[in-house]
Amino acid sequence: MTELRALNRAMFWRILRRLLGANRGRLFVMLLALGAGAAVTAALLNLQVDAKRRLTTEFRAFGANLIVAPKSSGATPASDSLLNQSLLRNLPSEFQGHSVTSVPSLYLIAELSAPYSESKSSVPVVVSGTELEKLPRIFPTWDFQASPFPMHNNSVAPVKANVVCLVGAKVASTFHLVPFDVIELMNGTEKVSCAVADIIKTGSEEDSQVFMDLAGAQRLAMLSSRISLIQISVEGSPPVIQQFQGFLSQKILDAEVRPIRQFTESEAKIYNSISGLLTATVGIVLLLTALCVMAAMTNVAIERKMDVGLMKAIGGATRRVVRLFLAEAALLGLAGGLIGAAAGLVLSIGLGKAVFGVAARPRLIVYPLTVGLTMLVAILSAFPLRRLASIRPASVFRGEA
Amino acid sequence: MFLRLVADSFGRRPRHKLLTGAALALGMGVATAALSVALDVGDRLAKEFRSLGANLLVTPQADSLPLEIGGVDYRPVNAGAYLPEADLPKLKTIFWHNNIVGFAPILEVRAMALPFAQEGGQYRAGEWIEGVPTIGTWADHSVPRPEGGEFQTGVAKTNPWWQIDGRWFSDEGMECVVGVAFAQKNHINIGDAISLAVGRVTKTPSPFKVVGILNSGGPEDESIVVPLSKAQFLAHEPGQYRKLYVSALTKPEDAFAKRDPKTFTPAEYDRWFCTPYISSIAFQIQQELPGTDVRVIRRIAEGEGRILGRVQMLLWLVTAAAMLAAALAVGASSAASVIERQVEIGLMKALGAGSRMVGFLLAAEQLLLAVVGGGVGYALGIVLARLLGEKIFGAAPEPTLLVFLVVIGLAAIVTLLGSAIPLRRASRIEPAPILRGE
Repeated sequence: MTELRALNRAMFWRILRRLLGANRGRLFVMLLALGAGAAVTAALLNLQVDAKRRLTTEFRAFGANLIVAPKSSGATPASDSLLNQSLLRNLPSEFQGHSVTSVPSLYLIAELSAPYSESKSSVPVVVSGTELEKLPRIFPTWDFQASPFPMHNNSVAPVKANVVCLVGAKVASTFHLVPFDVIELMNGTEKVSCAVADIIKTGSEEDSQVFMDLAGAQRLAMLSSRISLIQISVEGSPPVIQQFQGFLSQKILDAEVRPIRQFTESEAKIYNSISGLLTATVGIVLLLTALCVMAAMTNVAIERKMDVGLMKAIGGATRRVVRLFLAEAALLGLAGGLIGAAAGLVLSIGLGKAVFGVAARPRLIVYPLTVGLTMLVAILSAFPLRRLASIRPASVFRGEA
Repeated sequence: MFLRLVADSFGRRPRHKLLTGAALALGMGVATAALSVALDVGDRLAKEFRSLGANLLVTPQADSLPLEIGGVDYRPVNAGAYLPEADLPKLKTIFWHNNIVGFAPILEVRAMALPFAQEGGQYRAGEWIEGVPTIGTWADHSVPRPEGGEFQTGVAKTNPWWQIDGRWFSDEGMECVVGVAFAQKNHINIGDAISLAVGRVTKTPSPFKVVGILNSGGPEDESIVVPLSKAQFLAHEPGQYRKLYVSALTKPEDAFAKRDPKTFTPAEYDRWFCTPYISSIAFQIQQELPGTDVRVIRRIAEGEGRILGRVQMLLWLVTAAAMLAAALAVGASSAASVIERQVEIGLMKALGAGSRMVGFLLAAEQLLLAVVGGGVGYALGIVLARLLGEKIFGAAPEPTLLVFLVVIGLAAIVTLLGSAIPLRRASRIEPAPILRGE
């Protein structure tokens, strides 16, 4: 009995091999359809996950989305209350794998004069003490004209100034400043002269400010280790940003952590639209592609009336004949899926690079998922053969039906 | 005879043709849906991005340096320049006036405020509060359009993230909206009243009624917002404003738009002027409002441009991938249908048909199928794109002729290409061995 079964099994595989090898053209066509479907499935699934992650990074083009400011309750007006610089130590540079950039600022109003230019008069300007080298990171859309960024004193060595500063476009045009000019800032008895390292265009209120390093501004303001606020740029989807805000508010008790609603809210709205769009488009494309492949495969399968008829004529039971064809389809699906999914993953890496400039990380879970889906599509598309099982062999050979 | 053969092929094997047609229709449905969405997404997302608020800032050219910290201007009222409110309707006469979705003039004054708490119809005066930032603006203002009708605009349009508990003030009434932080600090509720004054107070001015509490998440939470005309009265600057926020629908800037307009040739200049780049809209506003400095709020405009560019590119790639997969599957399907017909081809050749004749016959069949399948697929894709658009953006993409032509063309090319290779092989076959079943 077992011998017979072993023989049967050997025969089963032999017939299967013959079925696959019988028509090279057909084999190629089936593999092509299945492989193309698998490639697109793998590429889109992989890209979709990656694109959503990348989007949150792209959103950081808007700049800071959280602010740590003094608590505005109580009788003291907001302008008088300041934060302690030690707060900065409480801020992590990473949260659940998302990068966090935080920049402290101290604002003061000082008298600006440009001693080496024609206009001798001094004008009050807003001076922002901050960490200069972090500005391009937190506000990537600001237009820094000088590049590379001369952040260190030695790069402006010929100029007699003890610090460097960045000047907003509006200040620069008022005083006709160009990089390497020297300006003087005065607040009461304190005086600082600094070299203009760069002129920045922001299009907002920062255009009329002068940026210098935090320690210099604190000296100028006679407020050591004090800051006005901290601007934070958190990467991540809207829920992550919210979690981070909650996390910070628990950690920092003597200050207020609030989202910049203009950006957080719009970001959430836009993020939802885009990720919904992506999911829906990918979903529809995958569904239709599967159906399309299925229709094409069924079309091929139906052509095999002759084979079915022949097998039945020499005594094959309907169930075994059908099983034979399903096995063939599953094998084809496996082969097409293995090749196509690999091609798709490679494709998605390239696509990720093209869109976001960073190669998409291949997610290994996508691979077995795609192969499984492809096999499923292949098997489902072979199912119409069941109907062929009811045909009478004689009528097939006579060319009827 | 030719037509009869084609018709016969369809009639004789209806299920077969139906399946090939279904594959075609589904494949072309994918192409249509993806293509329609990709074509439409730029405009739709640009609208979504307007929830970020204004992307252009208009200030007087001859202005002194603003002393702005956290959105509050610390300059005295008499410092700096102003712009005339009467010029504002001109904004709707620029070339891209339809792309301007909203604008709001702002005049800030630091005033003294005297709140009156309301208790059962009686008002009880509190203490004077010094140095309250007071913002004069339009809440919901109608501006006449040059082509007739009116355009509704105001700060509710340019700053859509501002939440109002209660309602906005009417632009004519003695009403105001109070920032949430200021309201909490001074225990002000909706229904209370506030008197505002600048300079020395001789008698208490008639009070504003508090009709709403503003939550902006920004420095406005510490201020009082009043109608523009009332702020002008407080500042003694009738008909003037200090800065103007404009929210405009734009096209993401490409390498061309980033060039300096001064270096353009006349043809390039026309192209730049007639494209809604943010720089060209800024330029047109500056021409229309003399004495102004129109600046692009880079944080918003650039951020929007970057993200829009990326998303559009992503969708185009998804579309391309979908079309490729559909094309391959459809091509495979039509290739299979030719491969299986070797006996038929052999018979036709045995009866004296030339290779060319056979080729034409099969090509005609495939083309007919492509047109029908492509048409059905187009309809299917349009329905899907419509569902998608309505679900996500609340508006369906318009069906365009372009997509239709592309889809029908694609269907024809794919079916012909798919059947070309097996056809070539078929044209080389000898009828006799095929008919013998070898």
